[in-house]
Amino acid sequence: MATVLLRAVLRPFRWLPSHPRPAAEMPLRARSDGVGLLYPHHIPTSPLQKALLAAGSAAMALYNPYRHDMVAVLGETTGHRTLKVLRDQMRRDPEGAQILQERPRISTSTLDLGKLQSLPEGSLGREYLRFLDVNRVSPDTRAPTRFVDDEELAYVIQRYREVHDMLHTLLGMPTNILGEIVVKWFEAVQTGLPMCILGALFGPIQLSAQSLQVLISELIPWAIQNGRRAPCLLNLYYERRWEQPLRALREELGLTAPPIHVQGLA
Amino acid sequence: MAAPRNLALWNYCGRRWSRAMRGCQQLGLRSSWPGASLSARLLSQEKRATETHFGFETVSEEEKGGKVYQVFESVAKKYDVMNDMMSLGIHRLWKDLLLWKMRPLPGTQLLDVAGGTGLAWVLGDAEELPFDDDKFDIYTIAFGIRNVTHIDQALQEAHRVLKPGGRFLCLEFSQVNNPLISRLYDLYSFQVIPVLGEVIAGDWKSYQYLVESIRRFPSQEEFKEMIEDAGFHKVTYESLTSGIVAIHSAFKL
Repeated sequence: MATVLLRAVLRPFRWLPSHPRPAAEMPLRARSDGVGLLYPHHIPTSPLQKALLAAGSAAMALYNPYRHDMVAVLGETTGHRTLKVLRDQMRRDPEGAQILQERPRISTSTLDLGKLQSLPEGSLGREYLRFLDVNRVSPDTRAPTRFVDDEELAYVIQRYREVHDMLHTLLGMPTNILGEIVVKWFEAVQTGLPMCILGALFGPIQLSAQSLQVLISELIPWAIQNGRRAPCLLNLYYERRWEQPLRALREELGLTAPPIHVQGLA
Repeated sequence: MAAPRNLALWNYCGRRWSRAMRGCQQLGLRSSWPGASLSARLLSQEKRATETHFGFETVSEEEKGGKVYQVFESVAKKYDVMNDMMSLGIHRLWKDLLLWKMRPLPGTQLLDVAGGTGLAWVLGDAEELPFDDDKFDIYTIAFGIRNVTHIDQALQEAHRVLKPGGRFLCLEFSQVNNPLISRLYDLYSFQVIPVLGEVIAGDWKSYQYLVESIRRFPSQEEFKEMIEDAGFHKVTYESLTSGIVAIHSAFKL
């Protein structure tokens, strides 16, 4: 009787996983040997869990902006539809298709930092390295994807994350709050990922009035303009373009210099 | 370091866990492991004597101690806030009730195992306590015994270090006795708790382990029998919050 009532109550919640079997069978968890997981670190989640994670991570990211992991979780739990669109457009682009095929990764183990160091000044590789040094960041701080339930899409969002520092280099934006927001606006226009849109809209909340003024009047319009004009930057095989002069690459992509110099951590 | 009052409180952190788990059989009877029939499973239990459970995973016994250790290393920082969040503060009521049952008096020699932090504490192993026989008036363990690799050994040790007439008290997650509440509890446990762990503590997996290890722990009756097997008498239990937790009490005579 109680279970009949319970089912009636829970019927509207059709996004819950169905559990006809006893409590011990409840979890949405693959076996300990990893079989059943779509990729390493994959954590399968129900639609309800994804909704809770999305709401929770958004709230926590706002409450504590240092929780970068929450931004990542937000991206993974809200991006499925958009990632499909991104993946499809990568397939249609010759360079993008190669990336999907070969799945290059950007980390200190895959990058030849010595080689990048030896490249000429003004080249993409050299400037990228300079960016990492000046801002004291490393490509290894990107957390692995966990909550995307498709292994190709998991790669796409991983690639998006790893390419983020490239965008900083191309746009000439530092990693302070203002620089990050500008890059988020650019990414929002380019990718349409809900996480980027939310970050772009809510990131500025913590800014001073002066920064906000500059952001709204100069930087955002510039970011939007460049974002729309440039082809999708996920389609660039950066690893094959290290020698390309940064200026030439920017021209190729239609990227203009920022309207004002945003202070970096020099 | 002695407490200023006469109530000597040895708070004691159980850490290292070691070898063979006999109690595994009783757990196997409860959870429905896919495939194998009961007798086949008991037989295979004998062959793979060095395997045990870690939540719903299967791990070797050597591994389990280390894995549990890692879980608690990971959750230590946000332990208290997570407990409040997950149980909406109710864990405090459970612990208050345990204290009330215990009614410690000045002069009572009390050992609290897996206590974390406290007045005077000693590092050791629940399965091999660094104390002499017949030393304590009361032995308590709250939300700790579930994580021990060999629960029967921990119970035997508890029996050993208690004085004759001494009391064993265990507060632990148990089996819910109401089907409706059980369903809601499962839903909450598996859908919400790992999410809370991820959002608040940045740690999904430890809290997934938590809710799974609760399901692995024996029922009130089974645990009562295990306590009796260790030599205790007058074993009773009281279920709290529809059986989400239970307090088991026993005496060494």
